[in-house]
Amino acid sequence: MQRTKGYPEALDKKLADTRLFEDERHPDFTKTVEEISMTIPHMCYQCGTCTASCPSAPRSSYRIRKFVRRALLGLEDESLTDPDLWLCTTCYSCTDRCPRDIAPTDVIMAMRNLAARRDIIPVNFLKTVQAIYTTGHGVPNNDVNRAARKKLGLNPEPPTTHGFPQYVKGIQYILDYFGLKDRADRIVKEREG
Amino acid sequence: MAEKKTKKETAPKKKETAKAAAPAKAAAPAVKAPEKEKKESRVGVFICHCGTNIAGSVDITDVQEYAKTLPNVAFADNYQYMCSTPGQSKIIDAIKEHNLTGIVVAACSPRLHEPTFRTATKEGGLNPFRFEMANIREQGSWVHMHDREGATEKAKDAIRIAVAKASLLQDLIPKSVPVEHAAMVVGAGIAGMQAALDLANAGIKTYLIEKNPTIGGRMSQLDKTFPTLDCSQCILTPKMVDVGRNPNIELMTCAEVENVEGYIGNFDVTIRKKARGVLSMAEAEEKGIVGGGCNGCGDCEVVCPVIKPNPFEMGMKPRKAIYIYHPQVVPLIYHIDWDSCIKCNLCVEACADKKAIDLEMQDELVKVKVGTAILATGYDIFPVEKKDEWGYKKYENVVTSLEFERLICASGPTGGHLVRPSDGATPKKVAFLLCAGSRDSTGIGHPYCSRFCCMYSLKHAHQIIEKIPGAQPYLFYMDIRSFGKMYEEFYYRIQDEGAKFMRGRVSNVLEDPVTKNLIINAEDTLLNRPISLEVDMVVLAAAVEPAAETDKTRKLFGVSRSMDGWLLEAHPKLNPCGTTTAGVFLAGVCQGPKDIPDTVASAEGAASAASIPIHMGEVELEPYFAQCIEEKCAGCGMCVNLCPYGALALVEKDGRKVMEVTEAKCKGCGTCGGFCPGGAIWMQHFATPQIIAQIDAFLLGGAK
Repeated sequence: MQRTKGYPEALDKKLADTRLFEDERHPDFTKTVEEISMTIPHMCYQCGTCTASCPSAPRSSYRIRKFVRRALLGLEDESLTDPDLWLCTTCYSCTDRCPRDIAPTDVIMAMRNLAARRDIIPVNFLKTVQAIYTTGHGVPNNDVNRAARKKLGLNPEPPTTHGFPQYVKGIQYILDYFGLKDRADRIVKEREG
Repeated sequence: MAEKKTKKETAPKKKETAKAAAPAKAAAPAVKAPEKEKKESRVGVFICHCGTNIAGSVDITDVQEYAKTLPNVAFADNYQYMCSTPGQSKIIDAIKEHNLTGIVVAACSPRLHEPTFRTATKEGGLNPFRFEMANIREQGSWVHMHDREGATEKAKDAIRIAVAKASLLQDLIPKSVPVEHAAMVVGAGIAGMQAALDLANAGIKTYLIEKNPTIGGRMSQLDKTFPTLDCSQCILTPKMVDVGRNPNIELMTCAEVENVEGYIGNFDVTIRKKARGVLSMAEAEEKGIVGGGCNGCGDCEVVCPVIKPNPFEMGMKPRKAIYIYHPQVVPLIYHIDWDSCIKCNLCVEACADKKAIDLEMQDELVKVKVGTAILATGYDIFPVEKKDEWGYKKYENVVTSLEFERLICASGPTGGHLVRPSDGATPKKVAFLLCAGSRDSTGIGHPYCSRFCCMYSLKHAHQIIEKIPGAQPYLFYMDIRSFGKMYEEFYYRIQDEGAKFMRGRVSNVLEDPVTKNLIINAEDTLLNRPISLEVDMVVLAAAVEPAAETDKTRKLFGVSRSMDGWLLEAHPKLNPCGTTTAGVFLAGVCQGPKDIPDTVASAEGAASAASIPIHMGEVELEPYFAQCIEEKCAGCGMCVNLCPYGALALVEKDGRKVMEVTEAKCKGCGTCGGFCPGGAIWMQHFATPQIIAQIDAFLLGGAK
């Protein structure tokens, strides 16, 4: 990618050498993913059942089969820098159906962990972290929700940290312990100023 | 001798029963019989729907109505499946009810159901040879699937032609011939050995013919066998010893079939026993050399000054001009490679008192008589250097899987230490290229799948992981075909052990001229990315093809081959061991690629099939032989030389020369009948008036 021929950036990308070379492969990456995910992507025979089960696949370029293949071959950079990594809804349909009893969802989660360590993580995920830190919820309660609950004869605030705000502290303690909040704040600030 | 005897036995039978199918004496009236007797021909026509196979593109009712209008047709009917019990009952009942003299079934190919309907005809009380089949499926509905009108017209033509013949058919009586209580197996690989052992254990004298100096075949070259990882030699050599010891097996190594004459039950086979240059103990004893003959001591080999590559080791190990393939050979007798022997006589001196070596030995021809024969001629490796792009024979570190097999084998040239041919280093990264010459429609490779390369490549991957710490095998594949018992589980195991499976066929292999490493170009079709992979060694899972001598052998036995070159079975599903030549059977890979379990199963099947006629003691031959109409025969004798089977002879009868047919030898090919200038030869079941009637029916009797 060093050579530039004065083409627009998109064309340069298209003309790049996409060959898979041996030095891209890191067998340690396969091992680490297997340790974190506690599953066996190296046993994948690429049948595609996972992608076929995936609700994201028909609506995006996300192909979970490819991520499992990358895990098998140890293609660390290709896995972690692909923005598709963040399109998994963690519905676990693929895990239910995998004929070789691999848990592809957990492979994705392991890769997301490894990506986050390298600060590769979309801002919306970090904002979720911030929301959890302040409210205890990834998707906090809102007025529409409150009205609906009232209509159903329920307390507008559910019996969670919304109903018992004193427990938010405990959640904050956990997030602080792992430094996640500071990290999220830092990255969001870097990207959004 | 046996032939003459049969003739005498069957002759009286014929006189009793056959009117039309009379032997030579009564031949003249036979020709005129249909006219003279004026016994009205009454033909029944039965049209089969074959489910929708025929009815889907042929108007059955229309055809049936048409059949009723044909001359001599007394009855016409149809049924969904004529071959079923109700269908056959229709024929049986109609024969009695309508006093039929001939039967026509319009259905599939006679190859499939002629025997079925002949039996039904016989059960109805008619001679089975009064049945004629009209093929309106393979040659009708199937090829004209989208032309209902045309297919219907063609079916009418076929039926009209068949009716014309059926009107003239005569009673024929099949001959029975005794079956020699012996069998022959050609090729002593695992298939031939298993077949010979089964036949011998069933009490049949079996001649086992092997062109190489030892039995064992390809399997003896293998190290381990998938999926159980048994050592190939450990499971094979005991069988080799059994073959060598079995009193019912007469083992002939360094031998080839030279000539085959005769027919099921009575094959006269000439075998060329090639000069081995070394006497076995038994042969020495016959020659009066007491305590002599080869005992496999190897003293001769030590002194022999000639060094050549050993073909058993794929040329990777030296051998002498007098040698054995490997220490476990059966029979354990040395042999001389005449092309490289310089006749220095050193071996003769070394052999001393045993006097086993005869440098002037000549080939010997042996004749044996057998009832049935099994071909088990096996396979060769496709010369994969023809696929230039993979660099075999161009780059030192590109080897075939059979060479790899010897390199990893404990008894191989390296004692089981895998090394790179270029520098003797231990390879760490090894690429296996599957489908090397298989699934290839370019005309260079073979279009078929060689069926066992996937599995042995998995095994090879396992072996390098097991033997070389840190080794990484890569398997470049299009599909992994692991279809046998415990095969898929084996695939799982090897993947778990760390073999990397790359789905994509290798486009080319390049060599680094300095390191002699190889660069493989392929696509990872699963990631949509081209790959350039540098490896230490490349193993080509080369396709298999019929052994070089297969064609010569099959022609001797009158066996056909299929489009892909493998020998043609009688039916791919229902008769995979039989051939179209009665009494000749196929075992193992010569019929098509098979792994060891399938080969052994096929061999046992062939042995069982080949033992049936022998145990029955006699077989019926189809009575399609030629007959001489002596009144017309001028005794010119020209037919005698034309006969490809040597079935004809001139004999003196009533003071003049006439031709006589040895019926059991006659195959009914019609060469003589077509030639005879005087029209004096009557081809039973394919007689001139019958064929003329068919042609007339086609050309003159059209529907329009």
